[in-house]
Amino acid sequence: MQTVLNLILNPQYLILVYFSFIGVLFSLIVSFLPALHIYNVLGILMLLVFHLEVALPPMHLIALCIGMIVGYSIFNTVPASFFGPGDESMSYYVLPSADWLEKGRGYESVILTAIGSLGGIVIMAILAPLFIKIVPILKTVTGPHLFWILGAVIAYAILSEWPKGLSYSSSRLTNFLEGWKYLGIGLLTFFLASILGFIVMNKTLVPVDFAFQSITPVFVGLFAIPWLITNIINIGKVPKQHIPETVEIDWALVYQGSFSGFLGGFFAAFMPIVTAGIGGLLSSHATAQRDNRLFILSYGTCKTVYYVGSFLLFFIPGVYLTRGGLASIVSPVMFATGYREYFLFVAIMVFSAGISFLMLMPFTKACIRLVEKVNYKWVSIVTLVLLIPAVFKFTGFGGLAIMAVATGIGLMPVLFQARRMNLMAVLLVPVCVSMAGYGNHVLRFLGLI
Amino acid sequence: MKGLTHFVSGIAVASFFPQAVHMAVQEKSFILALGGIFGILPDTLDFKFARYFFKPEFEVRPDPNNLDAKKIAEGVAEAVKKAAEDGKSTLQLHTMQLGANRWRSYSLSFEKETNEIVVEIGPEIDTGQLPFLGTEVKDPQKAVARVKVDCEFQQDFDKKSTIGIMTGPAFEFAKTEDGKVEIIFLPWHRTWSHSFTLGILTAFIAGIIAYFTVGEGPNPDLYTLPRWMMYPLIILFGSAIHIIEDSTGFMGNNLFYPFTKKRTKGLGFMSASDAVPNFFFVYTSILCIIFNLDRFHPGQILETRAISNPWFYWIVFWALPSVVMFYLYFKGQGTKSKKKNKPDFDSPKMEHEPDVSVI
Repeated sequence: MQTVLNLILNPQYLILVYFSFIGVLFSLIVSFLPALHIYNVLGILMLLVFHLEVALPPMHLIALCIGMIVGYSIFNTVPASFFGPGDESMSYYVLPSADWLEKGRGYESVILTAIGSLGGIVIMAILAPLFIKIVPILKTVTGPHLFWILGAVIAYAILSEWPKGLSYSSSRLTNFLEGWKYLGIGLLTFFLASILGFIVMNKTLVPVDFAFQSITPVFVGLFAIPWLITNIINIGKVPKQHIPETVEIDWALVYQGSFSGFLGGFFAAFMPIVTAGIGGLLSSHATAQRDNRLFILSYGTCKTVYYVGSFLLFFIPGVYLTRGGLASIVSPVMFATGYREYFLFVAIMVFSAGISFLMLMPFTKACIRLVEKVNYKWVSIVTLVLLIPAVFKFTGFGGLAIMAVATGIGLMPVLFQARRMNLMAVLLVPVCVSMAGYGNHVLRFLGLI
Repeated sequence: MKGLTHFVSGIAVASFFPQAVHMAVQEKSFILALGGIFGILPDTLDFKFARYFFKPEFEVRPDPNNLDAKKIAEGVAEAVKKAAEDGKSTLQLHTMQLGANRWRSYSLSFEKETNEIVVEIGPEIDTGQLPFLGTEVKDPQKAVARVKVDCEFQQDFDKKSTIGIMTGPAFEFAKTEDGKVEIIFLPWHRTWSHSFTLGILTAFIAGIIAYFTVGEGPNPDLYTLPRWMMYPLIILFGSAIHIIEDSTGFMGNNLFYPFTKKRTKGLGFMSASDAVPNFFFVYTSILCIIFNLDRFHPGQILETRAISNPWFYWIVFWALPSVVMFYLYFKGQGTKSKKKNKPDFDSPKMEHEPDVSVI
């Protein structure tokens, strides 16, 4: 007992709690700014730390990062629900949540997602000791096979999109063309996004000084701007939102949703380039989900496990898997961690999740008050007006040009109701092709080298 | 079964070929993914192509502004009568779209005991098939209709089809030798595309192409099968596993088209949309893939394998979770059967085939 108390009350560890709390608060601010991704902010923070030579011990910095990533993974549901998604992982969730928002159930949708997020954190904490045994085996076994697994994910993403037409016509050809219109747009989106990916990853227009932000204009163009444009065109005012005292849910749904979301999130965290959107889609198909509440809850689990889990994998002793943006950002300042740091990570993760959940409710209510008072259309216009100069500031004219092209591609699935996951070809295809060793052939074919 | 279930099972089957795993590791070949592609292909052929070749003789287009269950039931009865007289007829039921995310639902069932066609107009629903409260049709005369026909029905399982979103279901009515009218759900689905014959034919064509284009790989003496043969075998077994998995459901497949004319009945173990069986197949397949990738890694011996204790692996990661899954499944089935007689828009025995997200 005394050992435990010594461990808990040791100021060395208490200061980690302080840093993680600061991280959570910081993520709250970042989450409130629409279309701003935590990875971009963390990249800038790291540059500041290096530039100003701030003396921050690595574990303090890590506690700060854990607070930020856990907080962001829980808070980002709010701006995604009320202002639009910031990345592909969020856009997968946004369609059902927009439907709930329209029915005045936006708050309930956010809380369901947060319950899912908590479920994900709890599962990760419980399985953390098991990860030490299992993840090294998975890494060893799948290491030489990642390229074809990514190829299989791409193949499934294309093959599993089904025609959406109504087939009301008595002409079979008309029905065929109507059904294939959606599939065709999906395939075209996939193809164009792949080409854009090859160009951006190999011959980007973003100046070298801003290389760490080179992918930002792509994601802003593919996901954030198309959403804002459709909001400006389509939506007048957000209907009055109901804030219930309780949410309609039972334990079976929590278990089922958290389990399913964990599978998708873990797959996304473990596999390079695969995002929570793709992981969520795969796990919802694997567990044959049909309930909207289940979808929203499991998505909460999925994105939290994806964001936080990919960072956690970096701390597994002897494995140090660099997955997800955050692990890549902190890897230059990280030292070899052991079991103590790994379990400290888990403890800080649980603490940050609890704090974030408590802060989520007032944060959501504040956002609801804002969107009810301010015309949603104007929120989208202001966001758009702020976003474009921000992209220019960080990536120059080259970034703006990339963003403009990405916006054109990103608008295609939104306008034609095709699957937005096709946009992820921007990363999936170039990385898969390069891992398989065919990258140079494709680049030569495209005239990029 | 869900598309992902077939896809992952196809990859699992491919991973049982050591040479295919070697090709993936040593030559960066995507051959294992080929199993997944051909695993999902039968459904791709049906839902992206075959459905558009189906030409119904009768179509029922309910008017959402003038809802009348009797009119729908009479439309169905007309098709049934034609089958009773001429031996065969086909019918397409259409959905009622009210808005971008709003539909009017209705259900259709055939009662064997009374020879009645029963149509019930349901509530308005969203694309997620959630009903909007208070949108039920108030007039019972318009909401429910029962139309009696002169022939008896033959159907493999009690089934209430809910027509809600996207494209409605199609039916074929065929007169049997004993004078009954057999009800065939989605006549364009699980026919030629879900036959072993097509798998053999595709594999044969792929085999010819592979024979002339695929060269000998490294260390050919190590293998009993030539390298080119991997392609047709993976295609054949990938598509075969799809048909075998689908046979565990109710609908069955036309196994040897064109030599067999009708779909063979499924074993009826589970519904295509059941969560637990779908997950069981996916989970088992993933365990098989991991196990095979490990044991067939080039130059691998038991001592150097990541999974050094196969018994432990299969007991802890497969047998125990399987027991839990089956417990949950049978517990869930018990709960569902208690609700059997209640009106239910998500009937336990219903295969949600019209919804293309569940195939």
